Amino acid sequence: MQQAYETLANPTRRKQYDATLPPQEEANKLVRHEIYFSRPNLVRMSEDQLLYALLEIAPREEKQESLPTPPLNICLVLDRSTSMQGEKMDILKATSIQLLRSLRPQDVLSIVSFSDRAEVVVPASISLDKKKQEGRIQMMHASGATEIYHGLEAGLNELRRTHDPSRVNHLILLTDGNTYGDEQACLELAEQAAAQNIGITGMGLGHEWNDIFLDALASKTGGSSAYISNPKDIEKLLVDKFKALASTFADEVLLEYKPVENIRVNYAFRLQPEGGAIEIENPMRLGPILRDAPLHVLLEFVISPTAFNENDIITVLNGTLKTSITSNPMPAPPIRLHLTRDLHPQPSSDPPPTRILKALSKLTLYRMQERAQAAVDAGQIDSAVRHLQNLATHLLSQGEHGLAKTALFEADTLERMHSWSASGSKDIKYQTRALLLGSGKKEKAK
Amino acid sequence: MIVCSNCKHKNMAGAMFCSECGAQLVGTNELVTQNISTDSLNNIGKKPTGSLTGSLSGADAWASLHLLDTGQVLPLSSRNEFTMGRISEGQPIMPDIDLSPYQAYAAGVSRLHAVIKRQGSQVIFMDLGSANGTYVNGKRLSSNTEHSLNHGDIVALGKLKMQVLVNNS
Repeated sequence: MQQAYETLANPTRRKQYDATLPPQEEANKLVRHEIYFSRPNLVRMSEDQLLYALLEIAPREEKQESLPTPPLNICLVLDRSTSMQGEKMDILKATSIQLLRSLRPQDVLSIVSFSDRAEVVVPASISLDKKKQEGRIQMMHASGATEIYHGLEAGLNELRRTHDPSRVNHLILLTDGNTYGDEQACLELAEQAAAQNIGITGMGLGHEWNDIFLDALASKTGGSSAYISNPKDIEKLLVDKFKALASTFADEVLLEYKPVENIRVNYAFRLQPEGGAIEIENPMRLGPILRDAPLHVLLEFVISPTAFNENDIITVLNGTLKTSITSNPMPAPPIRLHLTRDLHPQPSSDPPPTRILKALSKLTLYRMQERAQAAVDAGQIDSAVRHLQNLATHLLSQGEHGLAKTALFEADTLERMHSWSASGSKDIKYQTRALLLGSGKKEKAK
Repeated sequence: MIVCSNCKHKNMAGAMFCSECGAQLVGTNELVTQNISTDSLNNIGKKPTGSLTGSLSGADAWASLHLLDTGQVLPLSSRNEFTMGRISEGQPIMPDIDLSPYQAYAAGVSRLHAVIKRQGSQVIFMDLGSANGTYVNGKRLSSNTEHSLNHGDIVALGKLKMQVLVNNS
């Protein structure tokens, strides 16, 4: 007894003893998670300091195969405003029909088209007359203005008719234009959708649409937006999206946390399966887990000097991860997430983990692009040009010659015209974002 | 606080990349190995030869450019005159020799930087009004003035250095 007391009272002996214990059986049998930090420990400072954490959440290998692939409940919400006329509409029709034919018997696909009002082209139901549905798709006709709210509302209504937690419930919005005045209402709809476990992906066609709005809309549900610069890519992007949805393991991972005093999450970014900034709120919607693409999230913490008290251990984040596993009827137990760092008198000389370094090197490029965009919006052309030139230098050193040229070209255009070229700002944003994919992995396949 | 060695921007302690210029602030040895990846070296041999119509062996070349940073040799043959520079988007006039695979942008090579040509047994070099200048053996050439080169001369376009090997056979 005395020995036990002594062991427990002495921190170093206690640590030694703890190390001999078998690792705790993790409560969650479906997913596993790993955390990497940019620094092994923290040092007391008289100023703010940064700490990065990379969170990787993946299905347990044995579960990956045993669970059935979930049935889909997808609604395509398609812009049929006047600007969609011609090639865009033709490709969209052909792709919709192709997707309809590729469905498995258990899947549901509904299609809504909208301009300044919405109509249900294919209602949500299981195995209707496919010929008739295809006929209705062919009848779609482009005319009118773009009002996303109507389309979104009708699409969500279709999804709700066949809504089922064991399905992947997802809305894909495809538009080529700006919506005016109904943005706020759209965001509210997205929040309702998120509460019902319905995901939203925004796809923007051409360069007239509002990427900031589509990103905001999708990120409400843990999704993100995609950029289709050439109508010919519509088919590939939609087919890939369907494949990704069919390989969903968990629709969504929610991070609920208790705010820690003097430590705040400054920036959160999903590196994969789909790159995108995560809104800092409580809970945070981190995004889905796919069978072959685990969820990787990078968090940036700002730690103020007042965060250090007498303790030798600093709690950076205290929360739980809630995952909704799509094809598992039982709710998965939440994973407790307690991120702590030891306080040391001297900074560690260990190099940061390679995966954090690689992820951050790509994320830095994305953030430089964000800065350039913000500078343009604020009318600071000089600063935007400098950011773009810096960006190009780093892109070159990382072997991204094509994108580097685009960045330089835009820097040139900004200097001359004081605005982006037609597609420039989106090209740079989505291509630097694409660089992030896989950057959280240890080895990037080249 | 970490001061970026590249742009002197003051970054918060614990930052890994400069928030202003994007330069890496910590653990540099890790990324250096990443930068000098071998596949970019492999590219070096392939890309520029596409713009040269002559044979790769360089046997019938009247001169060769030996890039000192990468060790790559570009043979000049089949034509008597080559403009040198780097190709970038939206550029109306293309140089005959595109140096962009050799970090030409970072080295300060202009889009249309210089011209190298053969006149009889002589090799002539001329700067085409480049922004960062052309140097022969460390001496800056005045723009648009022809300069005769000898075998073994070191020519620099901005900071991109190469040795001129003249084939007199």
